Parts: sequence; structure tokens; C-alpha cells
Amino acid sequence: MSAYIQRFSNYMYDLYKRYENLGYRVKKKIRFIIGRIFLYYVLIEMAFLFILPFVYILSTSMLTFEDYLDPTVFYIPTEIEWGNFTKAWEALDYPRSFLNSTITSLGAAVLQTIACSVAGFALGRYKFRMRNIFFVLVVIVLLIPPQTTIIATYGLFVELGLINTYFSVLLPAAFGLGIRGALFILIYMYFFQRIPDAMDDAARIDGAGPLRLFIEVMLPQVKSAIVIVFIFSVVWHWNDNYEAPTYMYRESVLTLQPRLQNIREYWAKKIPAGESEISKALTEPMLFAGCFLVMFPVLLVYIFGQKKLVAGIERIGIIE
Amino acid sequence: MAKKVVKYKKQLAHKRTKRTLSFERRRQLEGFSFMLPWLIGFLIFILIPLALSVKISFYSPTLNDLYRGKYVGLENYKEVIKNPSFGQAVFEAFMNSLYQVPMVVGFALFVAVLLKQEFPGRVIFRVIFFIPVILSGVIMSYLFSEDVGSVSIFSQLVQSNTGFMSRLFGGALTTHIGNIMWSSSVEILIFLAALQSVPDILYEVVDLDGANAWERFWHITLPYISPFVILNCIYALVDSFVDARNPVMSILYGLMVQGTKYGVASALSWFYMLLSLITILIFILLTRRWLR
Repeated sequence: MSAYIQRFSNYMYDLYKRYENLGYRVKKKIRFIIGRIFLYYVLIEMAFLFILPFVYILSTSMLTFEDYLDPTVFYIPTEIEWGNFTKAWEALDYPRSFLNSTITSLGAAVLQTIACSVAGFALGRYKFRMRNIFFVLVVIVLLIPPQTTIIATYGLFVELGLINTYFSVLLPAAFGLGIRGALFILIYMYFFQRIPDAMDDAARIDGAGPLRLFIEVMLPQVKSAIVIVFIFSVVWHWNDNYEAPTYMYRESVLTLQPRLQNIREYWAKKIPAGESEISKALTEPMLFAGCFLVMFPVLLVYIFGQKKLVAGIERIGIIE
Repeated sequence: MAKKVVKYKKQLAHKRTKRTLSFERRRQLEGFSFMLPWLIGFLIFILIPLALSVKISFYSPTLNDLYRGKYVGLENYKEVIKNPSFGQAVFEAFMNSLYQVPMVVGFALFVAVLLKQEFPGRVIFRVIFFIPVILSGVIMSYLFSEDVGSVSIFSQLVQSNTGFMSRLFGGALTTHIGNIMWSSSVEILIFLAALQSVPDILYEVVDLDGANAWERFWHITLPYISPFVILNCIYALVDSFVDARNPVMSILYGLMVQGTKYGVASALSWFYMLLSLITILIFILLTRRWLR
């Protein structure tokens, strides 16, 4: 009997322990769920504003002229008009300007990724006498608006014979300048600074020279920085509508961005003179088809590189 | 004897300093030579054009004769100061960045703190929040321009009455908010990286002390990432100063397209650059305390 009572009381005690702070735990759980709902609500609401332009471009590019003017058609076209894409393809002179854009942006990105890593390595791992001066210079380069120097640079490139060649974009990139080169140097510097000094010493004791130390020991440590810099560099050069078109304005070397800028004028010439508003509306779906064609390659790069990019961002804090 | 020891010690000390010096020297040389390519590029592509643009700002050149125009002295600068539209544009640009920078940085910090949490689907959200980096350039100008014929996509949002933001605020404000959100991608990225570097042990300690999320943010997160807040402020300032949609930039572009006023354009851009450099320097000096 007493054993039975013992068991019963044990059972009751367990039950009591189990639900001892039920109220507290439920409160915590409810609070957690409310927090999650709030989080998702805010994030989805903001993500909506970020996705919207994509949806807008995609849907508008498929609209027929009638659908575009019809207010009842809301984002979902009644029939898909592929003609917009062929028109935009023609106006952009797609194959040729795609090639030009690819050469300039990929080439510049590769060169910038290499050159900026060298400079970032010097700033991040060495304490030479002029280091602080160089650091200030890099920051100043970041601050100079391109408009200040573009006229003079144009004149310089005329003297050097670089106008209308790919080198007008590639050469500054090869020295670690070019579009936001200074920012990339700072990113690299930050990454290199986080590598422990023991790494350096170990490699030196094993007899590695400075070049070997840089290429075989240090660079593999900053893979995530390399990915970030490369993707940003490709994207920013691809979207550049200021420097590249200024230096490369001849038809044969024109990149996608200036063509997209002039896509309306291209078709305005072909449309017979009439009411300008209507003809403008006529080109609107075609314009967004052009936008889609221009952004599609970069979108692919981003989608495929995204995993590495995010992983790189996640790893930034872990290297310690 | 004692003299000899002292002398020997001196010799030794001398030897040692000499050796360390040469070692240091070699390191310094290595560092410098790694920096050398950039220095050459800097001289050719930054310093020479800068010097030339100073020269151009004192002349009245044409495109065919960029460096040998007529010398006009300070005439161009006088025009910049006298012309009221220039002054207004510069003022407007500065006011724009004054209210934009805190909002961009605040928004970026908010989003980064949200995205740093562990929850299912965060990778998707991270991908979405970096979209603006892809979409810059001409496409952005098509989507966001408030010209006569075209309407910005955010205004369309208000008209179609979708979304929480647009119902809450008016059209112009929504466009502003949209612009701010769209220019904060790089800042979000930097903040995410910074938040990742806060050691978890700090959070565990304050959790033991019974801090809630709010206190945790103000007492641990923010002090720890304060250098990155400053860094982001500087980046946002620079970004807004050199933004193509900025009024000064559009005036400069107009002057260059006209093709006859290169001198005035150079003078204006120098004027503007010096002002923005001074602003940023003042900002750095004021916030040096938090930069560690």
C-alpha cells in the first residue's frame, strides 16, 4: 500500500513539475509567435516594395498596346505579346552591345578583383611608413565624384589613343581604380586585417616570400571578399551609364546601357508623326522589354552567385 | 672593466637595433611595393586628370582644344558663385543628403537586425534585399523618374492602393521612402557583416542578467557595431553626394552636354567636391570618438 502511495505521490510530483510554470512558458511561446508574425509581416511588406519593380517590368514587357492602355488589365496580360522583345532586341542591337557589355564588365571585374586585392593586402597587412597617407588617398579617391575628372580624363584618353577602345574602361580597372575601386580596396583591407598574425609568421618561418605568402596563404583566406568584390564589380560595370558611354561612344563599341537610354528615340524615328503621347505609350511595353533584356544576364549572375555571396556575408564575422 | 662592459652592451644594442631596423625596412619595402601598382594608377588616372581639371577651370576650352583654350582667370568661379541656380542646387543637394543619410542608415540597421535572426526563409529575404544593387543604372531612372510623361512606380502603387506603406503615406512620401529603401542595399550588407562579428558570448552574459531584446540592442549590439554605423554614414553621405539623380550632378551633366561650358562645369564640380570633402571631414572629426 505504502509503495502504491509512494508511486502515486511521485507521479503527482512529476505532473506538478511538468506544468509548474505553464503560464510562463505559454506566455513565452505566445510572445515568440507574435514576434515571428510581426517579423514576417514587416519583412514581406518591405520585400514587396523590392520585388515590385521586377514584377512590373516583367508584366509590362508582355503587354500588348491595348492591354497597356486598358486600366482593367492589372499586371496579368490577356495575351502575351512577344513582339515587344523582338522590337527591343532590334533597337538594342542586342548581340553586339551584349558582347561589348560583357567584355567591359567581365574584364574590368576580373582586373579590379586582382588589383584591389593587392592594394588591400598592402594596407591591411603591412605597417609601412606611408601607409596612413595611402589610406587617406584611397578614401579621397572614393570621395571624388566622377564628374570632377571626367572631362580631363576624356582629354587624357584622347592623347593616349584610348577613346573608343575597351582599354578606356579596362586600364583604370587594372590599376585598382575604375568604378568604386577604392571601396573594394577598403573591403579587402578589412578582410585581410582579420586574419591572425600567426598565419603570417607561420608562412614566413616555413620560408614563404611575400608573393607566395600573398597568393598561397592570404588569398584563400579571403575567398568571400573575392566573391563579393567580383559580383559587385560585374554588376556595377554592367549598369554603368556614365563612364563607359563617355569613352566608348562609337556604334561598334556601344554598351547596352546607352542603347537602352536611347531606345525610345530609336523607335520614335520609325513611328510616323502623330500624337506624341500615344506613340510614347506605344513604346512603353517595348521599353520594359528592353529593360528585361538588359537586366536578365545580371540577374543570372546574381542568382547563381547568390549562394556564395550570402555565404561570404555570413562568414565575414566568423574569421577571427 | 666596467667601461668595457658598457661598451660591449652599447655595441650589442647597436647591433640589435640595426638588425631589427633592416627587418622592419624589408617589411616596409614589401608593403610599399604591393601598393606601387595602385600608386601608378592613381598618378595617371586620378592625379593628372584632377590637375588638368583645375587647369580647365581657369580656361574657357572647347572639346577639340581641351587644354589650350583662352585663359579667363577666376571668371568661371565668379560665374559659379553669382549664378543663383547653382547655389540653390548645391543647397538642395546638401539638404537632401542631410535628411536622407540618417534615414538610410536607420533603415539599413533595422533591416539588418531583422535579417540577422534565425528564422526559416531568411536567405530568400536576404536575396530580395540586395536586388537594388542589380537594378541600378538606366532601368532605375526609368522606374523612378517623376517626369511629365512617366510616373514613378511608387506613385503607381499609391494609385492602385496596394500595400500597407502606400495607404499609410501619400504619394510623394512613398516615393521618398521607396528611394531611401532602394539606396540602402550596400549599407544593409555592411551592417549584416558587422552584426555577425558581435561575439555570441556577450549576448549570453546579458541574457543571464535578464536583459530583454530592447536592452540587448542598446547595450550590446549598438556599442559594438558603432564604428560600422559611422562607416555607413560616411558611405551614405558619399553615395548621396555623387548620386546621378542629385541636382548638382544633373546641372553638371547639362553643362557638359551643351559642350561649350567645360570651364564652368569644372569650376562648379571643384567647388562642390571641396564642399562635400569638408562636410565629410567635419563628420569624421565629430564622430572620431566612436571610430575606436
